[in-house]
Formats: sequence, structure tokens, C-alpha cells
Amino acid sequence: MVALSDYLILSAILFSLGVGGIFLNRKNIIVLLMCVELILLAVNTNFIAFSHYLSDISGQVFVFFILTVAAAEAAIGLAILVVLFRNLRSISVDDIHTMNG
Amino acid sequence: MEQSLLELWKAIPASLQWLIWTLVKIVLIIAPLLLSVAYYTFAERKIIGFIQVRLGPTRVGPRGWLQPIADAVKLLFKEIIIPSGSNKVLFLIAPALAIAPALAAWAVIPFDVGLVLADINAGLLYVLALTSIGVYGVIIAGWASNSKYAFLGAMRLAAQIVSYELAMGFALVGVLIAAQSMNLQQIVLAQQGSILHWFWLPLLPLFMIYFISGVAETNRAPFDVAEGESEIVAGFHVEYSGMAFAIFFLAEYANMILISTLTVLLFLGGWLSPFQGIPVLEDWFAFVPGTIWLLLKIAFFAFVFLWLRATFPRYRYDQIMRLGWKVFIPITIVWLLVVGLAVVYQLPWWFD
Amino acid sequence: MLLEQILFYFFATVLILSATMVVTSKNPIHATLFLVLAIFNSAILWLMLEAEFLAIALVLVYVGAVMVLFLFVVMMLDIDIATMRAHFIRYLPIGLVVFITMMVEMILFVGTRYFGLEQFAKPVAKSADYSNIEELGQVLYTVHLYPFEIAAVILLVAIIAAITLTLRHKPNTRYQDPSHQIHVDPKDRVELLKMPAEKL
Repeated sequence: MVALSDYLILSAILFSLGVGGIFLNRKNIIVLLMCVELILLAVNTNFIAFSHYLSDISGQVFVFFILTVAAAEAAIGLAILVVLFRNLRSISVDDIHTMNG
Repeated sequence: MEQSLLELWKAIPASLQWLIWTLVKIVLIIAPLLLSVAYYTFAERKIIGFIQVRLGPTRVGPRGWLQPIADAVKLLFKEIIIPSGSNKVLFLIAPALAIAPALAAWAVIPFDVGLVLADINAGLLYVLALTSIGVYGVIIAGWASNSKYAFLGAMRLAAQIVSYELAMGFALVGVLIAAQSMNLQQIVLAQQGSILHWFWLPLLPLFMIYFISGVAETNRAPFDVAEGESEIVAGFHVEYSGMAFAIFFLAEYANMILISTLTVLLFLGGWLSPFQGIPVLEDWFAFVPGTIWLLLKIAFFAFVFLWLRATFPRYRYDQIMRLGWKVFIPITIVWLLVVGLAVVYQLPWWFD
Repeated sequence: MLLEQILFYFFATVLILSATMVVTSKNPIHATLFLVLAIFNSAILWLMLEAEFLAIALVLVYVGAVMVLFLFVVMMLDIDIATMRAHFIRYLPIGLVVFITMMVEMILFVGTRYFGLEQFAKPVAKSADYSNIEELGQVLYTVHLYPFEIAAVILLVAIIAAITLTLRHKPNTRYQDPSHQIHVDPKDRVELLKMPAEKL
């Protein structure tokens, strides 16, 4: 029998992988954005697991909205990245410091 | 002999029985599909030949009927050349990614009442998801070929596919509103009555837009700018040869047959007889099984694919994009409103 | 029971492995494709949790659109893979520490002690004619109508923002306008003249 804790542990591992990935990939904004997508995926799995085990549809409704917002955020993030690359010719996080005081 | 087989069958556990039976059904769907894809290529050459006042292939076998077998054997024995700078794993995965969705979508297609591999309540959504995955084969093939022509062709084609997917999705939403179910069997059953009860009449713009978007998605003329044989060589599959190329080819034709089948199921009553509801003719043709009607209608739309290729000149790329975004999507959105109002107010002929 | 457990562990393992490859791949295209694989496995797990609509919608939206967008951007940008590899080793210790700490802490909390089978029993499987889409639709368009409309506006804003950010009009390039070309009147282009036949 697969328990709720199995799904929650899976989400925890995915979430930590995403956060660790953000630390590891400071040189590449695209993989950074992909780690953010991993984090969102982990959170969504969490919601769906709870929705199933508590027999409450609200979890799935929340995931519906998270998917919407995640898609919008990925689109705008990549648009910003494209414009950044056009101007800076680099996708390293360290090179985005022109607003430093 | 049959007695021992029957006893063997009853001896294995129920879940294994179900698994084996499902595998048999899958083979029963895929094997005729692959055969018909092979002969569809032959039909294309013959029919386009006749439209252009010439005979198609006539040499191989009696009147050329063994031509697809000869083509298949040739492609099987050809060397698969992998370009030197390319990513080998991606290069070889791309054809698999192209053909997998084309074949997997057939799991939810009903061939008659109850003759369906997977009768799921989200059949339409499943088909839509699989057509979205079809883009990946193209993009990865273009990238992994390490060639400018292939890359450019793949990017253009991917943008075209994604644009027309939207118009197709909206057309499917229109069908969903009209049939009030995503189950493909229920959608066909909602069109019962007569030929005038089929969805092609209340959803006429959506029907035409769905079919034309299907032509654009499968990269067929007049929308084949990314593969235009006179412009960009062979587009995204220019570096492919042998069996890998054959798989792209198969995927394209399987997609064409899939689009024809979906058009028939969603808008033309699927396996319903066109003589339903007409008093005398209905009895004359009652002996024809539903599957035959379905196959005849699919054959007609497959013919229209070939007819379009032989007749129209190629669209330019910016014309294709304009058509997809600025013409089809507004029309579908407006018609969705019309259909929504018709269903809410229970328009007499179709939705009561 | 056993089949469900086998399927869960298999797909969960592939999911975690592909997520690891996303984070540690040298080549961004590989990372993107591994993320696609991770999303697929996640969709299968959601199917096991009886969330059919969301599983298929995840494949449709994420794999079909968002990851295609990622692939396009990755392919358009010229990335110097050598420098990226060198700095990866530099950041590895801190990344590993963060990953392990966070994972251990979260697992201690969400483990079987508080969320196991005794506290949250497995619910009865839904009947064959249960429609997940219908249940979602019942709630989405009545109770949650306002957030639904707001989500639509958010997507509209995303479209407008993405286009505004990346669109650039090159002043010297000449474009053809297809709608002008289509709305051309034959009378403007072709003129029929009647000329008497001339003897040479």
C-alpha cells in the first residue's frame, strides 16, 4: 500500500533537488528556471497527494491555478532572459549587476 | 488442441489474461494501421499522378501494387548515416519521438459501438496532449542533425505546429460543448439521428478549421514550407537516411490518417450510417457494419489530403502564421460563443 | 496492492533520477529533455492518484508548450559549455549541503510518523464512471469562478508581456503584408485592352 508519506517524501526530495540546483547552476539562468519548474512540480505533487488522501477536490483546483501561473511565469522569465542575452551576450547570474549601487 | 489452449488460458491469472488480451488488441490496431500507411504512400503517388495526367508507379508487381513493399525493403537495407558533429543519442531518439504519439493516439479511437481499446472519459484531451508531444520529434531532429538547413526547417515547422495546435484545440472545445462529453464514443453517439444531426452542420467553421489546421500540423502542402522540396531541401529530416527516415515518413502519414479519423469521428458521425433516419434507404443499407462507414469516410478525407497537395501552390511562411493566428483563432473563438449560446438555449434541431 | 507499489517505486525512481540529471547536466538541451521526462513521470504518478484531468493537462501545458518554449530559447542562445563545467565543481559543496539538509529535515517531518497509513488511510478507489473532469468543473465554475477569471487575465498579461519584451521592429527591413496582398482587386492589377490586329 502506498501511503501519503511516500508521496510527500517524493515531493520533499524533488523540492530539495530544485533548491540545490539553484545553488549549483549560477552560471546558467536557463537551468535555474528549470529548477524553479522542478520546485513547482514538487509542490503540485504534494497538493494532488493530499487531495487524493483527504478526498477533497480543492487540492486539484489549487494545482490548476498553480499550473496556470507557472506557465505564465516561465513565459515571462524566458522573455526577460532573451532580452538580457541580446544586450549582455551572457547568461550568467553574476553578470547581471548593472543596478548595483 | 483448442481444448488444451483454452485450459491454458483459464489457468493464468486474470490480470495476465487482461494484459495479453490488451496486447492482442494493440497488434490488431497497429498492424493494419502500418499496412494502410504503407499503401497510403502508394495511393498518394497514384492519385497525384492521375491528377497530373500521368500514371503513378506501375513497374513493381502487378500494376505497381508491390511498390510500398519495395520502398520498405529499400529503406530497411539503406545505411543509417549519422552526421559527425551530431549528438548520437538525440539523433536516434528523434524519430521515435515523432512516431510514438502518432501511434499512441489510436488507443482511444472507437471503430464501432464498444470497439475501442481504451474507453476513457478524457479521450479528446488525451488526443490533444499527444498531438502536442509530436512537436518534440521535429525540434530534436532539427537540432541533432547539426546542420543549418535542418535547424531552420525544424524551428519554422515547430512554430507552425504550435500555432495551428491552438486552432485545433479551440475546434475540439467546440465539439466538446456540442457533445457535452470528452469520451469519443459519446461524441459519436451524440450525433445520432440523421446526416443532418452530425456536427458538421452546426459547427461548420470549426469543421473546416479543424481539417485545415490538421493539414498544417502534418506539414502537408499547401503548408509544407518547412519541407518544401524546392526550397530548403528536406527540412528537418535532411540528414536522415534509411530506417530513421522511414520512421519520420511513417509518422507523417500515420498523423494524416489520424487527423482524418478524428475529423470523421468528431464532425461526421464516425461509424453512423449516413442513411440513418431516411425511411427506405436505412433498411436497404442496414447490413453495412458501422466500421465500413467509418473507413469509407476516413478514406474520403485521406483523399482530400492528397487532392489538396496536387492542387494548391505553397503558402509563404508569414502567410501561414497570419492564417493560424489572425484568421483561424478569432473565427474559432467567435464560433465557440455561438455554439455555447446554442447549447444553453437548446437550439431546436441539434441540441434539444 | 503490490502492483501499485511496484509502479509507484519505479516511476518515482525514474522521476528522481531525471530530476537529478536536470540539475547536473552539462548540456542544457539534455537538461531540458530530462525535465520533460520528469514531468511525464510526474503525470503518471498523478494518474495513480486519480487526478486524470490534471495529469493530461500537465502533459498538454507543460510538456507541450512550456518545455517547447524552453527548448527554443536554449537552442537560440549560444552557450559556452566549458566555463559552465568549471564553475559547477566550485559550487558543488554548498549545493550538496543545502540539498541534504533540506531533504533530511523535510523527510523527518513528512515521514510515516505523522502522515503514514494509520493517520491517513487510503481512500476507496473511485467507481468506473467517476468523471474527474466533471467534479473539477462543478467546483471551478461556481465556487472558484473569480480566481478562474483572474487566472485568465494573468495568462493574457503574460502573452502581452512576452511579446512586448521581445518584439523588435527593424526599421530597414521591408515586410510584405499578407492581408493587403489578399485584398487586391483584379481590376487594379490587370487591365484588358482591346487592340485591333495589326498587319506586319
